[in-house]
Amino acid sequence: MRRIRCAFCLVILFALAGSSALAQDKDYFVYVGTYTGFKFVRRSKTNGVGESHSKGIYVSRFHADTGDLGEAQLAAEMINPSFLTISPNHRFLYAVSEDPYSVGPPLDHASYVSAFAIDSSTGKLRLLNTVPTSGTSTCFISMDKTGKFVLMANFGSGSVSVVRVKEDGSLGELASFIQDVGHSVNQFIQTEPHPHSILVTPDNRYAIVSDLGTDKVLAFRFDSNTGMLSPPRPPSASVYPGSGPRHFAFDPAGKFGYQLSEMSGVVDVLAFDSSKGTLTTVQRAQTMPHDFFGINHSGEIEVHPSGKFLYESNRRTSSDDEWGLDTIGVFAIDPVKGTLTPVQASPTGGIMPRTFTIDPTGKYLLAANQISNNVVIYAIDGATGQLSKTGKEIAVDTPVCLKFVPVGH
Amino acid sequence: MKNIRNFALFVILVALSVRLAWSSPATADEYFVYVGTYTGFTFMNEGLPAGGSHSNGIYMSRFKPATGELSKPELAAEIVNPAYLAVAPNQRFLYVATEDPLSLGPDFDHASYISAFAIDQTNGKLHLLNTLPTGGTSTCYLSIDKTGHYAMMANFGSSSVTVIRINDDGSLGQQTAFIKHIGHGRDASFQNKAHPHSIDVSPDNRFAVVSDLGVDKVFVYKFDEKTGTLSPDNPPFVEAESGGGPRHFVFDAAGKFGYSLHEMTGFVTVMSWDSAAGTFTKVQDAKTLAPDFIGANDSAEIAIHPNGRFLYESNRRFRGPDLFGPDSIGVFAIDPAKGTLTEVEQVPPQGTMPRQFAIDPTGGYLFAENEKSGNVVLFRIDGNTGKLSPTKTELKIDVPVCIVFVPVHR
Repeated sequence: MRRIRCAFCLVILFALAGSSALAQDKDYFVYVGTYTGFKFVRRSKTNGVGESHSKGIYVSRFHADTGDLGEAQLAAEMINPSFLTISPNHRFLYAVSEDPYSVGPPLDHASYVSAFAIDSSTGKLRLLNTVPTSGTSTCFISMDKTGKFVLMANFGSGSVSVVRVKEDGSLGELASFIQDVGHSVNQFIQTEPHPHSILVTPDNRYAIVSDLGTDKVLAFRFDSNTGMLSPPRPPSASVYPGSGPRHFAFDPAGKFGYQLSEMSGVVDVLAFDSSKGTLTTVQRAQTMPHDFFGINHSGEIEVHPSGKFLYESNRRTSSDDEWGLDTIGVFAIDPVKGTLTPVQASPTGGIMPRTFTIDPTGKYLLAANQISNNVVIYAIDGATGQLSKTGKEIAVDTPVCLKFVPVGH
Repeated sequence: MKNIRNFALFVILVALSVRLAWSSPATADEYFVYVGTYTGFTFMNEGLPAGGSHSNGIYMSRFKPATGELSKPELAAEIVNPAYLAVAPNQRFLYVATEDPLSLGPDFDHASYISAFAIDQTNGKLHLLNTLPTGGTSTCYLSIDKTGHYAMMANFGSSSVTVIRINDDGSLGQQTAFIKHIGHGRDASFQNKAHPHSIDVSPDNRFAVVSDLGVDKVFVYKFDEKTGTLSPDNPPFVEAESGGGPRHFVFDAAGKFGYSLHEMTGFVTVMSWDSAAGTFTKVQDAKTLAPDFIGANDSAEIAIHPNGRFLYESNRRFRGPDLFGPDSIGVFAIDPAKGTLTEVEQVPPQGTMPRQFAIDPTGGYLFAENEKSGNVVLFRIDGNTGKLSPTKTELKIDVPVCIVFVPVHR
C-alpha cells in the first residue's frame, strides 16, 4: 500500500516537474488571420477596397512570461483568411477564405477552406490542400475535439458544413451539410438565415450553431465517428428578436453557454443540459452602457481558462469617422448559476476590436483592432479579471482572427 | 519532317477516334434497366410532397432490345427517394441523388445525399460503396463527367451546383467545386430565388451547362477535368425567355447544337454551340404545346435519339388528375445543318404525368415513365420517321422518375 502511495507521489512529482518545465518554456506562435482585399464589411458591402496591405496569414512569437509579442511575419500567402482554427495536436492549421470579387452580390462570396501543416520550429505554414466550403461568405471554422472534422458556418448561403480531415491533415470529403431556414425581424440583415459560428461542446457530443439571421441558437447532435449533424430540426434557444447571435463560448465544465449577439450587444447566459441537448436562458446581460448612443456591433466572446471571467468585444461598425464603443467588456461568472456581473469596460488600444484572444496561460489578452491595424497586449489580473495596459503592441494590417500554437510542439 | 508531322497527325486522329468510340454508348444484346423512384410521395405540389408511394428504392429489370422483352422489375437497392441516377462511363458504378422530403419543414429545402453503388455485372445487384451530403438541398439532378472522375449535382433548393470527386474504387471523395446562383425570375411563386435544375458537361468535357429554372438563365462554366473545378465562362450565361424556367438541357451528338427545355412555357430553345469559345447563339424557339392549349403544363425531359435525327421531350400535368394537363411526349425532327426543330407528333404516354423518359442505347425503344399512374410504358421508335408506337409491354413501378441503362456482361 505504501509502495503504491509512493508511486503515486512520484507520478505527481513528475507531473509537476513536467508542468514547470512547460511553464519555463511558454513560447507560442500567434497566427493572425487578415482581410487582404478590403478593410471591413458593413451593410453587407466590402468597405475600404484596396486599403488593406495584408497578404495572408501572419505569425508572431509570444512569450507568455513577459507578454512580449514579436514582429508579425507572413506565414502563408492567401486571399482573405478571415477565420482560423488549430488541430488539437497543434500540427495543422485550417483557414477559411472569402473571395469578395467572385460573385456580384454582398454576402455571397465564394468561400474555400485550406489545410496547412505547421512548421513547429519556424511557425511557417505549408499548404496541404484547398476545397470549397459548400457555402458562400463562410465566416467561421472550428474543429471537433478528435481533430477529425472541421465545422464551418456559411453566413451567405445560410448553411453549416462539416468536412472530414484525413490522417495527413489534409481535407477530405463533406461529412455533413445542414441548410438553416427562417428569418427574423431586422429587414436588413435577417431576411434569411445567417449562421455565424459553429462550435462543439466540451464533451464533443453536440455542435452549437449561432444564427444571426434567425435569432436562434441551435444544438445539433454531433457524431464524432461520421461527422454527421442531426436532427435537421434540433433543440434551440431564441434570443431577443433583432439581436443577431454571432459568437458562442462554453464555460470549461460545459454547463453554461454564453451567446454574444452582434446587434444588441447582449450576452445570453444559457444553461446547457447535455443529456437532452437543450439550452435554457438564465440571464440576458447587457454589455453596452445604458446611456450609450451610437452604433455598436459586438464581435468576440471568450471565457478565461480559469472559468472565472468572461470577456467580449464591442466595436464601432464603420471606420474612424463614426463613433463606437471599441471596448472589451469584463464580467465575473457566478460559479454556481453561471450568471454575469460587470467588472470593467476596457479600451482596446485601437479602433474596431473585431476579435481578441486570451493566451493559454491566462495572463494576457491580445486585442486585434481591424481599422487601426494593431494587436495590443493587455495584462489580466487573475483575481479580479481586470485588464491593464502593458504598453506593448505590434502592427498587423486588418487583423480579424488570432490563434495560439505552442512553439516546438 | 513531313513524315513526323503526318505521324503526329495520325496519332492525334487515332487518339480522337479511340476517345469517341469510348465515349459513345456501347450497344449490347441485353441491358439492366435501373428505375429510380420516389418512395415517400407521388409528386411535389408547389414544393410540398403530395400523395403516397409503395416503392422501396431502385428497381432493376432486364431488357432485350432485339425483342423488346422486359423482365419483371426487382428491387436492386433499398434507398429513400432515389430521384436521379447516373452511370459511370465504365458502366461499373451507379450514382444516385436522394432527397429526404421529411427532413426539413420548408418548401424545396430537403436534405439531399449522393450514394455510390458498385454494379454486379452478372446479376445487376447494387452494392452500396458510400453516401455523402450533396452540399445542397433538394438536389434534383446528377451527371458524371466524361472521364468518370467527377459527379456533378444541381441543388434546386439551396440554389447551388456542386462537384464531387470520384475515387478509383468508384466511391465518392472530396468536393471540388461549389457555385451558388443568385437572383430571381418573373414567376413570384416559383422564381423568387435561383433554382439550378440540371448540369451536364459538353461533349468535349471542357464546359458544364447549368439550366437555372429560377432565374431564367442557361449558365456555361469552364470545367477543369484535372481538378474538378468550375469557373464562369465569358459570357457567363445565356438569357432564356422570361418566366420560361429552363429545366433540362441536351447537346446533339456532334456537339454542334444545344437544346434547352423550359418547364413552365414548354419551349425548346435551339442554340448553336461554339465548342472552342464555349458560347451559345440562339437559333430557334420551338413550341412544344399546341397553340390552343389551355391548362397547366410542366415540361420535363428532353433527349436526342442516338441517330442524332430526332429530339424527344415530355409535357406533363403538374398536379393530380383533377387538373388538366397535356401529358404527352413530343417528337421533333432535327435539321442536320441548322439544328432547328420541326414537330413530327405529340404522343400520349399511356399514363399520367410523364416526368421522365429514356431512349435505350440501341435507339429501338423509348421508355415513358408516368409518375402519377405508376407505369413505365415501352414505345417502339421508327428510326426513319422518329415516330413512337406503344407496345403492350409496361413495367408496374410506383412513382418512377428516372431510368438508366447498363449493358449486361457475360
